[in-house]
Amino acid sequence: MTTAVQLDGITKRFPGVLANDDVDLTVEQGTVHALLGENGAGKTTLMNILYGLYEPTDGRIVVDGDERSFESPRAAIDAGIGMIHQHFMLVDPMTVAENVTLGAEPRKWGGLAVDADAAVRDVAALSEQYGLDVDPTAPIETLSVGVQQRTEILKALYRGAEVLILDEPTAVLTPQEVEELLSIFEQLTDQGKTIIFITHKLGEAMAAADDITVLRDGQTIGSIAAADTSREALAEMMVGREVLLEIERPPVERGSTLLTVERVSTPSQRGVPAVSDVSFSAHAGEIFGIAGVDGNGQRELIELLTGLSTPASGSIVFDGEVITHTSRRDRIERGIAYVPEDRHAQGLVMPFDLVENGLLGNQRTSSFTDTGRIDWDACHEHASSIIEEYDVRPPNPSASAESLSGGNQQKFIVGRELARDPALLIATHPTRGVDIGSTEFIHEQLLALREAGVAVILVSSKLDEVRGLSDRMAVMHDGTFVDTVDPDAVTEEELGLLMAGEQPARGEQQ
Amino acid sequence: MTDSDSRWRALLHRIVYASAFERMVISLAALVLSILVGGVLILVSGRLTTCPTAATTYLGVGFCYDPITVFDRLFFGALGDPMNPLFKPFAGEFAAPFRAGWSPFNAEMAVTLRETTVLIFTGLSVAVAFRADVFNIGTQGQLVVGAITSAVSLTALGPVAPSGIAGSLVLIPAGLLAGAIAGGLYGAIPGALKAYADANEVITTIMLNFVAAKVALFLVSGPLQRADSQIAQTEPIPAAASIPSVLFDARTGFSLVALAVAVCTALACYYLLNHTTLGYELRTSGLQAAAARYAGVKTDRTIVGSLVLSGALGGLGGAIYVMMIVGDFQTGVPSYGFDGITVAILAGSNPLGVLLAAPLFGIIQSGSIVIDTTTNVPPQLVDVLRGLIVLFVAMPEFFRQFGRRFFDDDGGEIDG
Repeated sequence: MTTAVQLDGITKRFPGVLANDDVDLTVEQGTVHALLGENGAGKTTLMNILYGLYEPTDGRIVVDGDERSFESPRAAIDAGIGMIHQHFMLVDPMTVAENVTLGAEPRKWGGLAVDADAAVRDVAALSEQYGLDVDPTAPIETLSVGVQQRTEILKALYRGAEVLILDEPTAVLTPQEVEELLSIFEQLTDQGKTIIFITHKLGEAMAAADDITVLRDGQTIGSIAAADTSREALAEMMVGREVLLEIERPPVERGSTLLTVERVSTPSQRGVPAVSDVSFSAHAGEIFGIAGVDGNGQRELIELLTGLSTPASGSIVFDGEVITHTSRRDRIERGIAYVPEDRHAQGLVMPFDLVENGLLGNQRTSSFTDTGRIDWDACHEHASSIIEEYDVRPPNPSASAESLSGGNQQKFIVGRELARDPALLIATHPTRGVDIGSTEFIHEQLLALREAGVAVILVSSKLDEVRGLSDRMAVMHDGTFVDTVDPDAVTEEELGLLMAGEQPARGEQQ
Repeated sequence: MTDSDSRWRALLHRIVYASAFERMVISLAALVLSILVGGVLILVSGRLTTCPTAATTYLGVGFCYDPITVFDRLFFGALGDPMNPLFKPFAGEFAAPFRAGWSPFNAEMAVTLRETTVLIFTGLSVAVAFRADVFNIGTQGQLVVGAITSAVSLTALGPVAPSGIAGSLVLIPAGLLAGAIAGGLYGAIPGALKAYADANEVITTIMLNFVAAKVALFLVSGPLQRADSQIAQTEPIPAAASIPSVLFDARTGFSLVALAVAVCTALACYYLLNHTTLGYELRTSGLQAAAARYAGVKTDRTIVGSLVLSGALGGLGGAIYVMMIVGDFQTGVPSYGFDGITVAILAGSNPLGVLLAAPLFGIIQSGSIVIDTTTNVPPQLVDVLRGLIVLFVAMPEFFRQFGRRFFDDDGGEIDG
């Protein structure tokens, strides 16, 4: 076996941050190699260096036995390295063939015109060869996310890529699409291509990769064959300590109905309903999960519940009172706590310190203010107690929110919202971008709330999380609840179909 | 990313995240640098002009203007020449540092403090709005509206007010209140337009400056013009409404009472921003509107509120201008409102910083008058020197405030 890519002692220093610290990576030709690590471990930086987007501060890049130094992605592409970013770089109104050949179009009439037929032919042949199943004449905007991703792969192959780098390729896919992607990996490696993919999901790395390299805090922790390791061992390598991966959900007596949502609808900005005719109820001592691929109306539905927007029709009843059109402040005062989806924009004011951030949402609560005057001493105490109870690091109330890592930011937000002593907690993607250790902690907090008789509504695009934690679970697609299922009884395949908006053949009608 | 890119980025990062002490050092260094550049400019223009006798000679070359004299006039002239010429610490002569017969209550000092007083109000006006992420360019217009309203209401109140001290106690607060209310209402217009019609406040406030200036011109050259006057001015305000000068000569148009009011206003603004719910909500909206909405802040009301407050501070400045300096309203109001933008930027939009930034502008303003009267340096060159100082001193702070947005977009995270 020959070595396709070898990175030797790569170091990358940004102002004030050491993103990569003496990282080694060896990828054999014709294999799938997973680059595994938590957020901020330096995975994307390392791959951006290989792709010529960053210049390393120090270290050696060897491709196909030759030491190389890429000044730009173009140089990397010429050396046979292609990268597919998390955010696709496709022109929506153009066809697949046009996108794939863009900038490298086949020519006719002595180079004066683009040979569109040849482009379609070439792309069709390429798609056929690697089993990608993409229609070259379809406009991008009509395609699903999975097919768009395959178009990106075609783009790289068309430019002669031998090594394909994929940055978190599964983040936007349904379970079925993930399956398809993994089988495409196989076809590609069978024909001699090499794949490096970035992920923080243990299961994927185990399922798809031949070899796994784990990064932590910008350093290589180790490389191992997927066949020789376990999820537990990998988790320990990622976090640096032992981690409990399975979610244990003890039985809890379900309490009374706390929230009743009756046929709410809200238009999106483009006029298509963002939330369409959704009804459900949440009970005390219950976690109600909402699963689905991102962007299917979850955000809009949560904004209706938290008072950030009001529905065009339908009603919301909380604790026996109609709150359909009440303000955000009213919901806060009624004891609805909210862990928002976007902690950088909503949950925290980034330049504020933790004392000021602890006051966010509480700024009109009598325990912190006295007729318009803020009691900063009480706020300081409040922030300190959140920091202590939720193990926020660094344990310094005067640290600005932007100086904290994602996991610590999230722990602080969860701590602040739970300190409100809520009757209902709405948590959206509470562990997105959060390391495994903090994830475990946040899960424990949600389960403790459930046991304490609080109603919890959990929105997450992580299937394991929403299945493991929820007592009942709705699947959202295109603004509607496709179905509400028992998370312990439903299979992965059924969920995948539901997330794609199809009703599995279980006898229940739509 | 190329190497020079990352160098610039590192430099910008350094400025954006500089500590308070570092920022003061940067400001001082910028001031020194602007004087050095200005000095070269003075020498060059001194060579390009002809004069009967050279003002100074360096390395055998005569120059018509002497940079040392110019900057000595600009800074020490503005304070009424406090230094004793015999005090030369570098030459080892330690005479009394202050000149015998120098009094802090001199005429030049009065001009410096007079300008400082009005600039504190306009600087606060811009700074408070800026903290709510509202760029109020309309302080000048709000000042004009406040000034004319204050003048007109004082003239109307004059006949019914008691005389003497009692009259002052009624009229002065009434005049200030009238100015603040009028300025606040005038600020509410761009506020409502921004909050409810999504109209950019930079555009609307600039337009409203013209509206204020032209309406004021119409009023004072028509319906409100003083009966026997040839120029565009209103009836004089009653004598009891003039803010009394303390320790300073009344003819200088400066009052320590007004300065005290300005300082108290700055302290009040600081308290409001940092110790009240209102201020917290205003700052939160200014930094991250989405986080403010999440916290239950009605951001549209905050926008209107911040512009009303900003306008009221501008209007207060206008009332002080009428009651302390001119004694009536007349056209040709100096550009206090626009200078307030620079004061606010230099102050980092901090009310306490305004108390440091406004005197610098007061000194430059007053010092350039001294240069005009004591040297043959043309006023245009003095304007250039003033501009240089403002540019140099304000630029680091400008980069700091706008650079922050650059880093916000990128986030601190390296790994997506």
